Amino acid sequence: MSMLCGAGAPAREMLEARTHRARVSAIPAAIIRSFKLLAAILREIFDESAYQRFLERGQLESSPNAYAVFQQENEQAKSRRPRCC
Amino acid sequence: MPKILRVLFWIAVSVLGALALATIALHRGEQINALWLVVAAVATYAVGYRFYSSFISAKVLALDPLRATPAERLDNGRDFVPTNRWVVFGHHFAAIAGPGPLVGPVLAAQFGYLPGTLWIIAGAVLGGCVQDFVILLFSVRRDGKSLTEMAKSEIGRLGGVVAYVAVLSIIVILLGATALIVVNALKSSPWGTFTIAMTMPIAVLMGFYLRRIRPGKVLETSVLGFVLVVAAIFGGQWVSETPSWAAIFTLTAPTLAILIIIYGFAASSLPVWLLLAPRDYLSTFVKLGTISLLAVGIVALRPSLRMPPLTRFADGSGPVFAGTIFPFAFITIACGAVSGFHSLISSGTTPKLIRREPETRLVGYGGMIAESMVAIMAMIAASVLQPGVYFAVNSPAGIVGQAPEAAATTISSWGFPVTAAQMATLAHAVGEQTLYNRTGGAPAFAVGMAQIFSNTLGGQAVMALWYHFAIMFEALFILTIIDAGTRVGRFMLQDALGHIWKPLGRTSWYPSILFTSAVIVAAWGNFLWQGIRDPLGGINSLWPLFGICNQLLATVALCVATTIIVKMGRSRYVLVTLIPLCWLVAVTFTASWHKVLDPNPRIGFLAHARQLAAAGANPRLIFNDRLDAAVTGVLVVMVAMILIESGFECMRVVTGQKLAATKEAPFVRTMLALEEQA
Repeated sequence: MSMLCGAGAPAREMLEARTHRARVSAIPAAIIRSFKLLAAILREIFDESAYQRFLERGQLESSPNAYAVFQQENEQAKSRRPRCC
Repeated sequence: MPKILRVLFWIAVSVLGALALATIALHRGEQINALWLVVAAVATYAVGYRFYSSFISAKVLALDPLRATPAERLDNGRDFVPTNRWVVFGHHFAAIAGPGPLVGPVLAAQFGYLPGTLWIIAGAVLGGCVQDFVILLFSVRRDGKSLTEMAKSEIGRLGGVVAYVAVLSIIVILLGATALIVVNALKSSPWGTFTIAMTMPIAVLMGFYLRRIRPGKVLETSVLGFVLVVAAIFGGQWVSETPSWAAIFTLTAPTLAILIIIYGFAASSLPVWLLLAPRDYLSTFVKLGTISLLAVGIVALRPSLRMPPLTRFADGSGPVFAGTIFPFAFITIACGAVSGFHSLISSGTTPKLIRREPETRLVGYGGMIAESMVAIMAMIAASVLQPGVYFAVNSPAGIVGQAPEAAATTISSWGFPVTAAQMATLAHAVGEQTLYNRTGGAPAFAVGMAQIFSNTLGGQAVMALWYHFAIMFEALFILTIIDAGTRVGRFMLQDALGHIWKPLGRTSWYPSILFTSAVIVAAWGNFLWQGIRDPLGGINSLWPLFGICNQLLATVALCVATTIIVKMGRSRYVLVTLIPLCWLVAVTFTASWHKVLDPNPRIGFLAHARQLAAAGANPRLIFNDRLDAAVTGVLVVMVAMILIESGFECMRVVTGQKLAATKEAPFVRTMLALEEQA
């Protein structure tokens, strides 16, 4: 029993250290994930994602002409979108 | 987390919320810290979200994670796009957050901070969040149909017509009232006027940059625009200190009103990419940044509230607007508690982006919580001001007089001491010639915000910059609403006129564009003109009118929601929407009755018209009052009709005369759940 305990202690310590390391390394990952999410939210709010989808849909390269067509396509939708008080 | 810890955590949150609510409700005679309001709000929102919205999700709406949403079924990469829930949340919040939650609480602070704060918290958790959530879900289940279409299909043709008229009316009155706020904030203010004037060439420059130089780089362009706007604020200081330039940008209220009317017409007729889109981006950028900054400022500074919890104006004799707490506090604060306008957003773009049904809870209920938090911050910004200063800024000349000494004496006689010298020092500190009679809420909010910001960053030396930053933020916000709102109104009018004569319905036909733009601009321009000519300051009549319209629209939305819940066969849960509906009916109908028929000329439109007629006033002013009374009366009658029609429809279903069936899109199993599992 004591042998088992003696053998288990370093293993447990190793496991705890690994868990601790995993937790520590998870913090920057969570921060990066949060920033990525924030960037995605901003890109959606500011129609950058919509433009990207438009380019992918039409298999186009970004250019002044492509952007003009995108804006024309979105003009009706954007104009009809109510903004709250 | 183990269950016992979860239970203890929620008990602790509830107790903390109750303690904070008791503190703000029962504290008398001493100033309290603003954090009590924040804690009360956050704890109540947390409990409301965790338990009440969960109950609504499970029992009332029975959200189905296996049911495909229109974003998935109709995905076209353009209007219907399955989107990450947090992205939809941000998008939805950016669309619902406007100047309303900032202005309404500032105006309602005349009653003290308590009535407004309690209404914001309770109204949001039990009314506004519920409305936004259920309308969003019902729209999702109907392929993203609008409120008007749902009213028509679930209640009847009249429902659709009433919703249409209410929406158009609210847009017109909203634009008139908010334009008046800008006029009152910018009149005789060369600094503010210059800064706002500069946002127009900046927006055009952004439009060209975005279109020609860096296509699609909106965030980068918005940052560039923001830097230029900040430069314009510094430029405004120079303008205000240079007599020759200051004279050019020192404008009277009528001149500003005419310029805003011309601006509204031009913005509605010009191509979107040139002015509207870049301004919209710039405004959103500044809005999100400033709201975040204000939240940080309040938490970091933890200011004390100088406004008492209740003032003597609970009796209805308030100088900011006349009327008792019930019903006027509840229509003055619409956005932030319950706002009918949100139902348009919840049945507009948002339902077409929702990926899974359960996500409507976060977006609908959670989005409104965020908006309500903004209203709490506005209440704090107004309440950190000395009450005497608050009333000096917000009271019209018709009540307190034109001369600084007279105004200070009148306000001091109400029990809120203020001196002319103190007001002069404050005006100088914020870079203005005077702060008297700046009705509308925006300048008071800007002074409060400048106080919070300058105590956090930069000290008193930069108070003027913060004040003008806040004014720029609000005016930019409002002007964006004016150009976007005029366009939305124009499209609605074109849709309706197209039924009479087809070419008028063509949205690209220039004569139609010019004609319908002119009609919409003339409609809200009339209200704006009425506001600047009103001896009571305009806000006294326009803001309650706007509040009534907005809450009547919320009544229509909750009426549609209640009917659908009954038709879903879930009548036993109908109180979830029926209670806020009954409350709003009581509030809006009582307020309308007062605004039309009250014998007090400061409250009743018709009594005011009679008073003006007896004094031999300008017939135009008399006509304005009668018009306001007529608009209120017509809207109330129409909403009463929709209530009756909805009531009959519900009765038919409950008594078994009609089959309980809704007009939902057929069930299709989602593929996204499988993808997520894989």
